[in-house]
Order: sequence, then structure tokens, then C-alpha cells
Amino acid sequence: MEQDNNRSDDRELKAVLGHSPAPELPAGAMDRLMARIAAEPQGSNVVPFVPRPSAPRPFWRLVAAVPLAASLALGIWLGASGKMDFMMPSTVTGGVVLNDDAPVDDLGGVGDAYAEEGTT
Amino acid sequence: MTRDAAAFRQMTDAGLLKATAAGSHAAFAEIASRHYQSVYRLVWRMTNGAADAEDMAQEAFVRLWRNPAQVREAGALRGWLMRVAANAVIDRSRKPRSAALDDAPEVEDPQARPDAPLDRAQAARLVDARIADLPERQRLALSLVYFEGLTNIEAAAVLEVSVDALESLLARARRGLKDSLSGEWRELLGGLAETGQ
Repeated sequence: MEQDNNRSDDRELKAVLGHSPAPELPAGAMDRLMARIAAEPQGSNVVPFVPRPSAPRPFWRLVAAVPLAASLALGIWLGASGKMDFMMPSTVTGGVVLNDDAPVDDLGGVGDAYAEEGTT
Repeated sequence: MTRDAAAFRQMTDAGLLKATAAGSHAAFAEIASRHYQSVYRLVWRMTNGAADAEDMAQEAFVRLWRNPAQVREAGALRGWLMRVAANAVIDRSRKPRSAALDDAPEVEDPQARPDAPLDRAQAARLVDARIADLPERQRLALSLVYFEGLTNIEAAAVLEVSVDALESLLARARRGLKDSLSGEWRELLGGLAETGQ
């Protein structure tokens, strides 16, 4: 039903639009277009890839890398050997981190509860 | 040159695009001869016959000439040209223009003399004016489908919308046109029946 209505609307609209004549290209329009094209350069479709020119890397940049690498290696060795632990805060190096004061049967408070009830 | 032109007439749009990309003016002329008329008609309808309709239609072809590789799908060349031209029209309509009022053709109000029947020229002017009153995208959808004979799928591609969205635009355009021509609708239909169109 709706489709029939649409078809009928469509037919009516086509009939009404039929009153509007199709405009013709103005005289000489094609010649004007071609004259414009003749004067218009055609752009290249391909963008050539040209690497950005860069200066050769200076030697001192390599020299600077040596002390940086040495500093990194020293830091790793000192950290691993523990020779600099006295300079660290205790939260990083102390017993909490090492977990050396925790009793072997530490049950996180559950054991205390059992102890109070005398069940342990 | 003439032999070229004859050879180009046999080519598909894809072949012509390739030749145009290689700088062939004759191939481009063949593309223009195939599609300029319909692109011009679309612009004319969109602008209600503005004086610069030719310039806007021309612009689409100049863009094609500058870079034919922009057309990804050679089979959709006409749609591509129409999209570029329609965008040029939309851009133009968004620019403030002092002469906008001068562009609009004067349409005699048929309500002013209700008994007089519309003659052919009046009917044409009235229908054109009411089409011009439609919102831009509805006008474009209507022109593509009803005047240029594009399928809904092709027209949706030109408008860069889904087919459902296009159908919605068409339905609103139909309603809008019917409302704005409500007083003359029957007469416009009857006139056609009488002239056998």
C-alpha cells in the first residue's frame, strides 16, 4: 500500500518536474572549457621522494656516548653490589624490603586470632 | 587529431582518464563531450540558472584535468564530476554575496490571479523557483535522481550518504515541493496530461 503511494507520488512528481525544461549548454561553452584547459598546466600525480638533506653526524656525538655508557654500567654495578645502599632510604634497602623480620609462620593476623582463642 | 578523436570515442572512461593523465587534450575533450552537459545541467538546477553556473561546471573539469588520478574509480567519473561541481555550488552558496537577490529570477505569484491558467513558460518558472527554494541537499538529491537519471545508489555516492539517507532526502524534497506547489499541483499535473507528456 505504502509502496503504491510512493509510486504514485513518484509519477506525479516526475510529471510536475517535466514542466522544467532541461537547460542547454551555453553556446561556445565547450570551446571556452578547452581553451582554459589548454592554458592550464597539468599537475604531476606523483610526488617525488627526496630525502631531506642532513649534515653528516659529527664525531663528538660518538665520543659523548662513551662516558654515558660508562656511567650506566657503573650505576648498575653499584646498585647490584649494594655498596651504595647507605645512601638509599630504608624503605628501599631496609628490612621491610628484604622481609627479614617477618616470622616464618606469619599468617597476616590470622595466627593471632587463633592464639587469642587458644586454639593454636 | 581526427583519427585520435575517433579512437577516443570508442574508449571507456577508464581509458580516457589514462590518456588524459598522459596529457592528451583530445581524450579530455571526449570526456568533456560526454559529461559536460549533465554537469552543467546539475549546476544550473542547483543554482537556479545563476550566471556563473558555467564557471562552476567548468571548475569540476579543470580539477579533473589538473589531476586525473584523483578519480579512483573510472566507472564513477560522472558521479565524481557531479560531486565536485555540487561542492563548488555549496561552497559558493556559503560565501556572502551582495548580488544574491539579483540572481533570483522573479516569479509571478500565481495566487495573485487565481483564475488564470498557467502557461508553459510560467509553469516552468514556477517549478524551477520552487525547486530552488528547497534546501540544498534535497535539491541536489532531486536533481540527481529525477533530472539526471542517476540510480539511488549512484546519487547516494555523489552525496556521500547512505541510500537510506538519500531516500529520506528525496521523500522530504517531494513533500516540500508538493506543499509549496499545493495550489498549482493539480493544474501542473493536468497540463501535462493535456499536452500528452
